[in-house]
Amino acid sequence: MMTPLYKYGFFGDELSLVVAFVLGIGFGFCLERAGFGSARKLAAQFYLYDMSVFKVMFTAIVTAMLGVTYLGWIGWLDLSQVYLVPTFLGPQILGGLVLGVGFVVGGYCPGTSAAAVATGRVDGMLYASGIFAGTFVYAEVYPWIKAFVNSNEMGQVTLPEVLGLPWGVIVFAVVVVAVVGFWGAGKVERWIGSRS
Amino acid sequence: MPAHTPDPAHARPGSAYANPYVAGVGLGLVLLAAFVIMGRGLGASGAFSSTMAWLVNLVAPAHAQANEYFQGYLGDGTTHPLKAWLVFEVIGVMTGAMLSGLLAGRVHLSIEKGPRVSTAIRLLCAFAGGMLMAFGAHLARGCTSGQALTGGALLNVGSWAFMIMVFVGGYSVAWLMRWQWR
Amino acid sequence: MRWSALPLNRKLAAVALVLGAGALFSQPHRGPVVKLDTRELAMIVEQQVDHVTPAELAAWIVEGRADYRLLDLRSESEFASYHIPTAENVPVSALPDFPLQPGEKVILYSEGGIHAAQAWMLVRAQGHAAVYTVLGGLDGWKDEVLFPVMPADATAQQRARFEQVAAIATFFGGQPRTAEVAATAAPGSPALPAVTTPAAPELPSMAPPVAGRAAPAAAPKKKKKEGC
Repeated sequence: MMTPLYKYGFFGDELSLVVAFVLGIGFGFCLERAGFGSARKLAAQFYLYDMSVFKVMFTAIVTAMLGVTYLGWIGWLDLSQVYLVPTFLGPQILGGLVLGVGFVVGGYCPGTSAAAVATGRVDGMLYASGIFAGTFVYAEVYPWIKAFVNSNEMGQVTLPEVLGLPWGVIVFAVVVVAVVGFWGAGKVERWIGSRS
Repeated sequence: MPAHTPDPAHARPGSAYANPYVAGVGLGLVLLAAFVIMGRGLGASGAFSSTMAWLVNLVAPAHAQANEYFQGYLGDGTTHPLKAWLVFEVIGVMTGAMLSGLLAGRVHLSIEKGPRVSTAIRLLCAFAGGMLMAFGAHLARGCTSGQALTGGALLNVGSWAFMIMVFVGGYSVAWLMRWQWR
Repeated sequence: MRWSALPLNRKLAAVALVLGAGALFSQPHRGPVVKLDTRELAMIVEQQVDHVTPAELAAWIVEGRADYRLLDLRSESEFASYHIPTAENVPVSALPDFPLQPGEKVILYSEGGIHAAQAWMLVRAQGHAAVYTVLGGLDGWKDEVLFPVMPADATAQQRARFEQVAAIATFFGGQPRTAEVAATAAPGSPALPAVTTPAAPELPSMAPPVAGRAAPAAAPKKKKKEGC
């Protein structure tokens, strides 16, 4: 049996939508458990007194990254069949910047806004409405910005490929950076906490 | 509806937020399950695009189909735009979040805001933030769920660049926006 | 410091670091997606070091060499009606999943050589360097080995050489011919010999190809964007 199951024909499109729903439940449950239905908790990341966003995000990344590495190593996961979003370096750098600003202005990101709406946050509902409005505006101006949006295309590339280092080395480096980061985040939280 | 909610983490005894590292491992396992079962990661912004494309197509079909961005989400007409993987996933996110919230007594109509800002301004900022977020996410082909989490775990170059810039962008305006949160 | 006495966060960090260190030794799974070094491959093609002639192959079979694997890329039915002795049947579609030992010498042939040349690219792209094609494919095998033609105005030296070639042809059940016979031969003749193992030292039996795992389903047709 080879995974990804869907890519190896174990089930079809209809069932994949059920899978999406179930995975979404797990996703939303973990987000709310972490308190990410709350804009104040999310924004706190950028005021340094609650680094949960960093902790949750990087723990999730490290967990999944180690998972694919080991599953690929023992031959249970065909990583080449896992979809990698193509890299468009310029738009993605600008997009990240804009998203970061939107995060602090609005207090959510698309996923957490869904969690916020589900737990009754009215500001989350306004935020989600804002996403719809912004999407409409984006679609309208798309013909003019299309050239930029599709610039700096690098295809589907990973850090190991671009840096010329083995996959395992980058994995190890990410784990070390994350663990050091977590230790540092705790220190920053305590320092900020002792000042206020 | 209270304009300034007490800290939800203490809404009910024993309903404090989970250890972020434990929540992170849980989230990572869900992401891993997505890789192993579907061969793709999680996401969110795409669901908004699909829904918007469907809405515009409902109200003004000619305009929607002439628009290149929406056309991508409407496809060739053989599949309904709302029958999209991300749409079902986001509905799941709302379901799961509500479930967790109900278990912890954290579901009630409220507005999250800092002590110094008015409700109206906060709601305006939420809307504006959402619009900015939409632009950022569509430019980057994903948001923190699709790009940072999914692409981060797969060591995707664009995703890591995106993720770093999200933190840069956030921290650079945090001081300017502090009146909203502190 | 006892493990159970450590706070949860420290335990998680320790587990992460151990697994991260372990990952240093990991090997990525080789899926069907490959990377090609185009310059290297172009050089090899130009230098023509990527093929063997039918005559060379015939000599190796006669000698009883067992240091190579000969793969017939045609269909099962074509293979059954005739194949070069010692060949294994691996249709092109089964090639990506066909297990090859690193360092194993692989020789490919098809009817005329085009499929073999394409398959050569596939095998090389998977990182297997010792792969060659039979120049001219089965057609070349027929012309050079099975049914060699002696030119009408052959010199004594050429006749002597042809003796050797003819002997090999007979060995494989073929038929050496003179130029006049070949010129007047009806199209489609002579018929290919029955598939018999030539009277050569017993060659080690080649294990039949292992049934490949289920091939990945074709990527679902992109009716809509697959994004985030």
